[in-house]
Amino acid sequence: MMRSLAVLRQFSFGTMLLRLLLAMLSGGAVGYGRSRKARAAGLRTYMLISIGAAMAVLLTLYQYQMLTGPWAEVVAQVGMKFDAARLASQVITGIGFLGAGIIIKIAHQQVKGLTTATGLFATVIMGIAAGAGFYECVTVALVLIVLVLNVMSPLEIAFKRRLRNITLNVEFRSVEDIERITRVIEAQEAKVYDIDVERTEPKDDKYPSAIFILQLSRKNHSHSGMLSSVAELDCVHSVQELIS
Amino acid sequence: MLHLFDGVRALGFGTVALKTLIACLCGAVIGLERSTKNRPAGFRTHILVCLGAAVASLTALYIYLELRLPADISRIGGNVITGLGFIGAGTIIITKRMSIKGLTTAAGLWTTGIIGLAIGSGYIELGLIGTVLVLLSETLMARVSSAIQSSPEYALELLYIEKTSLDHVLRFCKDNRMSITNLKIQTIEDPEAKYAAEIRLRGAMKQDALLNKVQHMPGIVASMAL
Repeated sequence: MMRSLAVLRQFSFGTMLLRLLLAMLSGGAVGYGRSRKARAAGLRTYMLISIGAAMAVLLTLYQYQMLTGPWAEVVAQVGMKFDAARLASQVITGIGFLGAGIIIKIAHQQVKGLTTATGLFATVIMGIAAGAGFYECVTVALVLIVLVLNVMSPLEIAFKRRLRNITLNVEFRSVEDIERITRVIEAQEAKVYDIDVERTEPKDDKYPSAIFILQLSRKNHSHSGMLSSVAELDCVHSVQELIS
Repeated sequence: MLHLFDGVRALGFGTVALKTLIACLCGAVIGLERSTKNRPAGFRTHILVCLGAAVASLTALYIYLELRLPADISRIGGNVITGLGFIGAGTIIITKRMSIKGLTTAAGLWTTGIIGLAIGSGYIELGLIGTVLVLLSETLMARVSSAIQSSPEYALELLYIEKTSLDHVLRFCKDNRMSITNLKIQTIEDPEAKYAAEIRLRGAMKQDALLNKVQHMPGIVASMAL
């Protein structure tokens, strides 16, 4: 812990203001990168929850100040029944619920919004640290969160494109075609780990479909090559790679 | 802490009335800004949340300071924060196109609740400054938010006969730092083409520019924007 920050760790009107502004700006910095990608949670959302979290901690500090100062007489009589971590801990639960609201199940066993939800979660905890005046932690966390959210995502996509394990959603004419599809996949020296049949009969102008989880061979691991070979089959209506 | 508010930190009929009134006002100001944008949670919603949270704080203080019962004065407030998380989750709407609406409103409502808690506890200056900061983030930043440029995802459809044609296109996209987010290949019954590929991607190149390049590549029968 840095000694030079001792003044800023005191509880006063000035430090309260400073911490709220720090929370707002650090939340905004995380939100800025997310806004650029046109995600659900933008600049304002991140700022608002970060301010809220810092306020909750500042409120705790205030309550403790009152309990040890003006209300000391009550404390002497009834006893100290105060948990300085309670409000902050409920902040985390509350944002967990909010986050659950943004995770949506889209087609073919995939979810959307998970990164946004966890981004909000990490940001709110950074706001808690800001409210407590843990400036070192806020600085480090801010740098890391921004790095993970902005720099890692192209890396992750690039990495996933090179993975040997891929998931395909295949639409075909009838369930009996699964065997032919499997044979074509295995002809490319790929292993089929799992076949999850989604629809067995055509329904509402949707073809029968299944999700294939497979591992491509070491020599030939072109994703589009595998997609093309499956698509070549007469019985296959469409094939789509699922990237979560 | 400011000495200005020292008189209202304790409990008493006058201070209770004053604090609930301030909470209503803060909720009203935040709610008014949302109402003018015609969002689901408007004026009354924000007042009720802020007022309710303030009453929760006041009741906690009453139990401890007046009734002198052993209680953690932060417990009720803590659960207000969790409860508002639930309400917030309910204001989030998922549209038919699988995008999310109402998240900023939910976050604002949640923060408004904490403002109410602060005011009810007697930390009026925190509540007031919190209100100002919330208004700042919602109004000023709305402009900044919409000014930020984003690189949106778009989709192309290609018709081709030989499967190597698609490989050329994908290589071209990769070389131009475009990231492909999804790929779907369909067999089609068409006299000129055998396959239709739907490529979803995002990156530095604009849709028109990419389309222009792609349609002159070998083996591509037709290409169109989706």
